[in-house]
Amino acid sequence: MTFEPVPLDLLPDALNASFKAIPAVMVSGMLLLFLGIGYAFRVADTEDLWVAGRSIGNVENGMAIGANWMSAASYLGMAALIALSGYYGLAFVVGWSTGYFILLIFLAAQMRRFGKYTAPDFVGDRFDSDTARAIAALTTILIGFVYSVGQARGMGLVGIYVFGGDYVTMVVLLMGITVGYLALSGMLGATKNMAVQYVILIVAFLAGLYAVGFTQGYSTVLPQIEYGALLSELNSEFTEPFSTGGVYLWIATAFSLIVGTCGLPHVLVRFYTVESERTARWSTVWGLFFICLLYLSAPAFAAFGTDLYADKVGAVYGASGMSGAEGDVIVVLASQLANLPTWFVGLVAAGGIAAAIATTAGLFIAASSAAAHDIYTNIINSDATQREQLLIGRATIVVLGAIVTVTALDPPALVGELVALAFSLAGLVLFPMFFLGLWWENANREGALAGMTTGLLIWLGAVLNELVLATDAGPVVPLYAEVFPAVGAALAGTPIVFAVTIGVSLVTDEPPERIKRIVRQCHSPEPMGQQQSAEDVVSADGGQISGDD
Amino acid sequence: MSDNNSQQSDNTSQERDEDASNRTVETDGGVATGGRSADTDYLDAQVNIFKPSTLFMRDHLRIVWTMFAVWALFVFGPVTATYLATDFMTSTTVMGFPLHYFATAIGAPTGALVLSFVYARKRDQLDEKYGIDHSGARAGPDAEAAATDGGSDR
Repeated sequence: MTFEPVPLDLLPDALNASFKAIPAVMVSGMLLLFLGIGYAFRVADTEDLWVAGRSIGNVENGMAIGANWMSAASYLGMAALIALSGYYGLAFVVGWSTGYFILLIFLAAQMRRFGKYTAPDFVGDRFDSDTARAIAALTTILIGFVYSVGQARGMGLVGIYVFGGDYVTMVVLLMGITVGYLALSGMLGATKNMAVQYVILIVAFLAGLYAVGFTQGYSTVLPQIEYGALLSELNSEFTEPFSTGGVYLWIATAFSLIVGTCGLPHVLVRFYTVESERTARWSTVWGLFFICLLYLSAPAFAAFGTDLYADKVGAVYGASGMSGAEGDVIVVLASQLANLPTWFVGLVAAGGIAAAIATTAGLFIAASSAAAHDIYTNIINSDATQREQLLIGRATIVVLGAIVTVTALDPPALVGELVALAFSLAGLVLFPMFFLGLWWENANREGALAGMTTGLLIWLGAVLNELVLATDAGPVVPLYAEVFPAVGAALAGTPIVFAVTIGVSLVTDEPPERIKRIVRQCHSPEPMGQQQSAEDVVSADGGQISGDD
Repeated sequence: MSDNNSQQSDNTSQERDEDASNRTVETDGGVATGGRSADTDYLDAQVNIFKPSTLFMRDHLRIVWTMFAVWALFVFGPVTATYLATDFMTSTTVMGFPLHYFATAIGAPTGALVLSFVYARKRDQLDEKYGIDHSGARAGPDAEAAATDGGSDR
């Protein structure tokens, strides 16, 4: 599958774009609520800003995992991908949901035990290298950027439906609100907000699905299963396997999304915010449950939307078929085509905006901590005061917000595809470091540096080849795009990064005993204190004192 | 620290011939907090995903690898089967769905969710078996050690 060029005029044709009073009030009220919660839980110190004082419990963290996770790409983009690219779109459903299991069995509890602040912190401390820390921090910022462009696009498209106006105004307005409340409140406010955002987005999505299914006679009590009967009536493109992408691309995409899940800094940091490793495990299970609620429903929504579109608008596939912008709002579009009341369509739209804002918040927090904590404090100025760190963190949020907004004005791909690019980056550069760092004590600094550099190069190559430098004729080097498709570069790339990291680690010196003991502490079953990191335990253990009592 | 380590390796050299995972090491104080896990010094047990070096890690990794295999079947099984036996997978229907669509869109996510729940349960049982109690983590005495930021430079 190649990236369709997106027309500059992003107004979806079939969507009734105009100012609507009741939906506008609903969405404004929701945005004010987010700002209010952000203000009520505003923070003054960095511990709260980055990891919420490590005080978050099971279900709340599960909801935050869900909201953090379910961005515009899940709420809007996934249904679009399923509607527009059929069976290939399911690779996104599978990749984005099942990856959490890998995260759970291999990384969640161990990460919690390592117990630092950020993902680059882990890389820098584990491999004992500021260069590795810097690469990880820059990757985190890059991921935040690529991922957020998709969110901004989603917010803008839905915003048009609610407020009318044009795409540019909506992107600027909604990004401005996101940045404002983040700069105020940081992670604690964001976590509290995320639980609220999860409730809004899942209620809106499910209400929309049930209402569309019920009023149009598609389904009654369980649309997630009942849409099966509809599939045979849709165009064969909807279900036919491998019509829009071969089996390699399918597996590559799913694989990339799975390892990307395990390498995303804003996902991992959710494990640093919980009170214990057992909470880290169970909140992952809760998170996946909350995620599955939406992921089992999105294909049903896509099927309903596609059928309604074919009935009321025109052919879905082919040259004059559904546009990318229409696909990206198909969830809202389906509610509108089902003749649901305007306020109700507004509710569905509000859910999409909540999803986009929640994820952008998580990404920006991760990026701002990478800049303020990992780059500024750990590398540039080790005497940085909390005040300076907060200032740098907030400045990063504002600057990144501005760059994302500008880029989103002319986005190069669909919401889901943009987000998938961030996943293949995380899967290529960060996942191998997390996995080897935690599961092989002999992985060392040289190995990590070589591995991360390899991963970055593979990803940059894929993106330049397929998106930035590509012409209408297709990618610059077709063979490279076959092996390393931009959205699925990790299938071939991650094993290479693993091999490079292991190979270089083997031919260079083993890491120091102190580091090895920290890794071992991550796997020890013994309980640790809430505020304790593996490093604290190891350094206390080597000394004469027993540390406590 | 290095003296401390060589002393321990003397203690353990005898037992190394036996099952490595069974070795018991005298703790050097400070970490072990009780239960059966107190018999093992995890800070001296090598971490290697293919060669678990303690009883606990071996038990844990057995669960991890078994469930990983089941997971791989759920996730990549449907698409592989669809590729290999396209006609069978697309013409068989389950609850109105073509089989390939059902196994991918519903089977894989649900499978991962059920597996996650089972894993978390099994891991809790493992904690129980090794006498590990996380409830004390909140107000554990260790919080103080963290506040003073450890004794690395003492």
